[in-house]
Amino acid sequence: MPKNILEVTDLYKSFDQLEVLKGVSMKVKAGEVVVIIGPSGSGKSTLLRSINYLEEPTSGSIYFKGELINPKRNLHKVRQEVGMVFQNFNLFPHLKVIRNITLAPSLTRSMDMNVTEERALELLKQVGLSDKAQSYPEELSGGQRQRVAIARALAMDPQVLLFDEPTSALDPEMIGDVLEVMKNLALQGMTMIVVTHEMGFAREVGDRLLFIDEGIIVEEGSPAEVFSNPREKRTRDFLSKVL
Amino acid sequence: MDFRWDLIISSLPMLLTGAKLTVQLTAVSVFFGIILGTLTGMLRISKTPFRFIAAIYIDVIRGTPLLVQTFIIFYGLPSLIQRPIPAYFAAVLALSINSGAYVGEIVRAGIQSLDKGQWEAAASLGMSGYQTMKHIILPQAFRRILPPLGNEFIALLKDSSLVSVIALEELVRKGQVIIGRTFRPFEIWFAVAVIFFVMTFIVSRFVDLLERRVTRHA
Ligand SMILES: Nc1ncnc2c1ncn2[C@@H]1O[C@H](COP(=O)(O)OP(=O)(O)OP(=O)(O)O)[C@@H](O)[C@H]1O
Ligand SMILES: [Mg+2]
Repeated sequence: MPKNILEVTDLYKSFDQLEVLKGVSMKVKAGEVVVIIGPSGSGKSTLLRSINYLEEPTSGSIYFKGELINPKRNLHKVRQEVGMVFQNFNLFPHLKVIRNITLAPSLTRSMDMNVTEERALELLKQVGLSDKAQSYPEELSGGQRQRVAIARALAMDPQVLLFDEPTSALDPEMIGDVLEVMKNLALQGMTMIVVTHEMGFAREVGDRLLFIDEGIIVEEGSPAEVFSNPREKRTRDFLSKVL
Repeated sequence: MDFRWDLIISSLPMLLTGAKLTVQLTAVSVFFGIILGTLTGMLRISKTPFRFIAAIYIDVIRGTPLLVQTFIIFYGLPSLIQRPIPAYFAAVLALSINSGAYVGEIVRAGIQSLDKGQWEAAASLGMSGYQTMKHIILPQAFRRILPPLGNEFIALLKDSSLVSVIALEELVRKGQVIIGRTFRPFEIWFAVAVIFFVMTFIVSRFVDLLERRVTRHA
């Protein structure tokens, strides 16, 4: 097992004329929780979405478990092992909660359906939604939907989970439940990259904090270090606005 | 002013035979139209070169009259392939090809109306494009396109009367034949109109019913 489960080197991404990522490199160790913060439009989502190639990088390389990700060769396999949780949940509205969770594993693995379902029910229990297996997504609150989305991602037994502002679309009273689930995942040793505006979560759960501005990593370090003693002026300006 | 109800009654069996053919033609053509249209709609938004062919097909068919398309198939094609084409076969071919283009547009719009996040969620779970289409996109698109698909069915039911020009004895053609014998155009066309209305009414109620059953959770 290579030391870094994920490695991004010199990543550039442009949309037409707009250069969004301007040479981003980062390494993530297994079990690490990396939190990414930065102003709106700085490229946080683009970085995260480039990791599993929802956006194809303009240049640069991404290595998963030491292996270069290549959309033609190993992307499906990588995506099965790198889960993603979206700001808007993106649950499948025509499927019951249980089917939302079992669909991908049942399609991509030759496993007994009973085993897959049992695992899904276990995951639902883990996110505190045991009683919602037979509901449709529209019957759930935002916080419940996001927890189903996390269970859905977990059902693939991913080695890395990417979170893109998982609580930004939620009412304040729902945020806690979702953060709690994420915190427990972190405690169980899940490797996570989390884009968030929840500074409390970053401080408490993050092993490392990256501050991104205008497409580059401006500063990184332990959350405590960066929050209490930011080296860069841009970091200070940003933190003074959000803390 | 006399209105010959008795004439309508006595013509009814013949008109209903025609109506039966109309329904049959429409049903078969809608069936093939949906298959052709789903394929066309999917190709239209694919990244393959076939998308241009799909786009041309849709534009050409929607930009020319069904009547002319029917003539090309029934009169034009036989001279090209040096053998006659049976009227029934020509009618089904013309109506299916015509319907396929309209359904293609409906399917394309239905697929594109879905949130991009649905594709992304499926992709992020490692599902293939085919699996995503089959399990995520088409089932949701289908629920959305049911109403316009119902309209297309009704439109085709009415448009199928155009194939009377190739002497296929569907409802309109039957009406013409009866008038040729009875010289009572008003009663007969009136009866034909009522039969058409009853058929489209039933179809539209049926589509409403189906819609209410499947559009939950869409
Ligand atoms: N598909 C796209 N096409 C064109 N421009 C895009 C696309 N996606 C993102 N952008 C642009 O790239 C820039 C960075 O976007 P990104 O979503 O990565 O920012 P972000 O840091 O996640 O911001 P936020 O905190 O608001 O989510 C923005 O200017 C955005 O408008
Ligand atoms: Mg974002």
